Amino acid sequence: MIIKEINMTESILTEGPITRNTISSRLGALSENKNLGGHSVFIGQVRNDVKGLKRVMAIEYSAYPELANREAEKIRQEILNEFTDVKELNIIHSTGRVMAGEVSLFVLVSGGHRQQAIAACAKTVELIKEKLPVWKKELFEDNTHEWINENPA
Amino acid sequence: MVKRKFMEIRVLFFGVLAEVTQTMFKHYRDIASFNDLMYRIRDEFPEIIHYNYRIAVNSEMVNEDPQLKNLDEVAFMPPFAGG
Repeated sequence: MIIKEINMTESILTEGPITRNTISSRLGALSENKNLGGHSVFIGQVRNDVKGLKRVMAIEYSAYPELANREAEKIRQEILNEFTDVKELNIIHSTGRVMAGEVSLFVLVSGGHRQQAIAACAKTVELIKEKLPVWKKELFEDNTHEWINENPA
Repeated sequence: MVKRKFMEIRVLFFGVLAEVTQTMFKHYRDIASFNDLMYRIRDEFPEIIHYNYRIAVNSEMVNEDPQLKNLDEVAFMPPFAGG
């Protein structure tokens, strides 16, 4: 039997909220790399904004998976090139429904020291907002919804 | 008569555009060019002209008027809103 090793990068997209288990296992794995001195984490969660008389109950995310993974890899390369002290970068983004208070974005940047890890984490979040083909609609308690950033021409 | 080569194109609509067109996927046959595809889409979904979008062909961002090949996948993407 031939066992073929598939070298496929894991998708950054996950269905539903990013769970405590996922976050704690990512954080728990950090001590495996003893040459790293600083980890910077960004956790994005769904806010229960009030718009007019309506409160946001959840956000429903959709994405273009192939392009999202391709763009995430470009972001990763850009960050690793710019911040030479940064050794690793993890991105997880939700698709589907995420309730208010639940986590929809997890970014973990690891480096030798704090300065670049913190700066690179902040830049990664901005690049995600700008470049990832992800869309969101806010779902209100009265079952109506509103697309974010739809920009009618 | 000049014989033209026509293409089959798979179209994806994302975000609010999936709602406007009420579909995420659509096949178009007998497409001669990107402009021809746009004409067909605008004809079928006139409301689409009220929205901003960017285009990707086969999961690559492209500028306006890309060259299409048979069986290409063309994605219509409203402004991104991740995070």
